[in-house]
Amino acid sequence: MNEAELAARVRNVTKTYRVGNLSVPAVRGVDLDIEKGAFLSLAGPSGSGKTTLLNLLGALDTATSGDIWIGGHSINGLSNKELADFRNTNLGFVFQTFNLVPVLTVIENAELPLQLRGMTDRDERRDKVEKILVEVGLGDLLDRRPNELSGGQQQRVAIARALVKNPTIVLADEPTANLDSETAREIMVLMQAMNEKFGTTFVFSTHDPLVMEYATRLVLLRDGKIESDERTEPVQNAI
Amino acid sequence: MPSEDLIAGKIGIGTTVRIAWRNLARSRRRTLLTASTVGFAVFLLEVLTALLIGIERQSFDNLINYQTAHAKVYAAGYFENRDELPLNFTLTSLDETEALIRAVEGVAATTSRLAFSAQLSDGVDQITSIGTGIRIRGSDSEVFRIKDAVVDGFYLEEGVEGMLLGVSLAEFFEVKSGDYLTVLLKTRDGAYEALDLEIIGLLGTGFPAIDRNGFLLPLEIAQEMLDTRGEATEIAIRFQPSAAETSVVRRLSAVLGDQSNLEIKTWKEVEEDFMALVEMKRTAQGVFLSIFVIMAIVGITNTIVMATYERTREIGTMMAMGFRPSGIRGLFLVEGALTGFVGGAIGTIVAMLVVGYFASTGIDLNALYGEIDIGYPIKDMMYPAMSMTLFLVSWVLTGILSAIASLYPATRASRLRPATALRYV
Ligand SMILES: Nc1ncnc2c1ncn2[C@@H]1O[C@H](COP(=O)(O)OP(=O)(O)OP(=O)(O)O)[C@@H](O)[C@H]1O
Ligand SMILES: [Mg+2]
Repeated sequence: MNEAELAARVRNVTKTYRVGNLSVPAVRGVDLDIEKGAFLSLAGPSGSGKTTLLNLLGALDTATSGDIWIGGHSINGLSNKELADFRNTNLGFVFQTFNLVPVLTVIENAELPLQLRGMTDRDERRDKVEKILVEVGLGDLLDRRPNELSGGQQQRVAIARALVKNPTIVLADEPTANLDSETAREIMVLMQAMNEKFGTTFVFSTHDPLVMEYATRLVLLRDGKIESDERTEPVQNAI
Repeated sequence: MPSEDLIAGKIGIGTTVRIAWRNLARSRRRTLLTASTVGFAVFLLEVLTALLIGIERQSFDNLINYQTAHAKVYAAGYFENRDELPLNFTLTSLDETEALIRAVEGVAATTSRLAFSAQLSDGVDQITSIGTGIRIRGSDSEVFRIKDAVVDGFYLEEGVEGMLLGVSLAEFFEVKSGDYLTVLLKTRDGAYEALDLEIIGLLGTGFPAIDRNGFLLPLEIAQEMLDTRGEATEIAIRFQPSAAETSVVRRLSAVLGDQSNLEIKTWKEVEEDFMALVEMKRTAQGVFLSIFVIMAIVGITNTIVMATYERTREIGTMMAMGFRPSGIRGLFLVEGALTGFVGGAIGTIVAMLVVGYFASTGIDLNALYGEIDIGYPIKDMMYPAMSMTLFLVSWVLTGILSAIASLYPATRASRLRPATALRYV
């Protein structure tokens, strides 16, 4: 596949954790090309390395060996500060436990990435953030604190926070695991809609077969290796 | 912007302060507890320092008013031997020299004094004391404030033959104004002289050298008894209130420089032993109080350590958003600094109220200590100094020290790997 059409390229990547003098190989030689606009589901049993691989793709951790490019940029050998800036510009994150900053309101949470990017014009920033928050259905809750929101609403904020900076990839580690099935479905529909509307690449991990149904591509991990990688026909807005 | 990156990453100081402030509000109890500890230490620091400054100022005023004036001129050789109160290094041509000194810019007044060693006796007991002959006319009270220290009887007047006696001496002899004591002394040539003098007034200066073993008498009587007519041991000088001490001294030295038989000494040089003691007490109190403040500030380190552990996952989230390490560090530094500023403000406000109150009413030393000597030449009332510089400096310093106290946990937090921080439960 043409380099320019890739959101991410993973080559020969391994990750071995050291616990005391024990080595835990979590990712053991993964090659993966993720095309722009993909809606990719990482599946696999517990301990198969999904979170580890997502952390490597998200520049939240460094690989033991191998190379990773995001949007054509290698993230090998970047300093912590450079990695922070890289995440800020290129990567969006959605977490299983929502991970909003509790002391910030909905709109403040969502605008944080833009502030970190140095967008100092408050009106311009708020304009942009408000549009996305309306898009994810939170137009009326801008000034709420996270603890005043339901799980589904919190995850919508997280999605808005990830999308507001037009990232190359949004990485979502089990985004629906803490939600009831109905809310999980709503969140998947929302992510799918955003994927289609903005062409943003999504990579999410899940155990839930119902969630995998939304994927355009299903990658199965086992023991830190890719066992299968296939294109699938997603369900459409099965709401 | 490198300076901003130093503490706030790219987020900017405004947002950093806002987030830090809200986090402090979120753990309100802990914040208040830590801040109160700091506040208490700052309160103690400020109140005790205000007291010390006040005591020093009063002591210095008393020294100048009762004992040293602003500066003194001696005959060469006297100063070195001053402890023996020698009579063989005296000043002559007093009027001419005083006139010369008075002409110097910044000098307000001068007076000649004759100090000597003598025995005081009531016929039963005898005690060694320091006599000082003072000019009644033209005049000692323009330089010294002895008049204000008369606690019983009157100040000396022209033509009166009598003495002013230190209160503690009076207690020892069980005498009061109107009674008589005998002054016994040796003249310069070694002859013995004795004279009965009426006690005109008693002096309570708070200054041991006077209260415990001093008496004052008219200069002419002292000169007569000591057989040193027209001579004095020192010329005391008072400066204009507005004059800068060092420049007056410089001008005086220039004027008196031609006369190699004269020496000029400032009040600090005259009381160098006392000044050394003051310096020592300052250091001791400084060390004592610093330990207090440092202990309080270590409390801040502890609080920030707890905050970074509690919010480890939040730190991971912020790092994922793109907070630079410096941004994370800045967040916790500012939290520590704000805690210090809040605590410092509480302590400072209370200290200002307390110090302000006692600065106007004074603290009654007799009620506090009875007649115990506190080691400073002050008496009856003590006034803490209402120094805005003290309050401002200690408040700002508390904030800065608190930020420094947060440096270790804040830096530790900033070095977390985002993946590790996010896994933390
Ligand atoms: N920080 C770590 N230190 C040591 N071992 C780790 C660490 N993180 C993960 N592991 C180990 O690496 C392996 C892969 O873990 P990982 O969390 O990537 O799996 P996962 O597919 O996300 O599992 P799950 O579905 O349970 O979330 C596991 O054996 C796990 O115990
Ligand atoms: Mg996982």
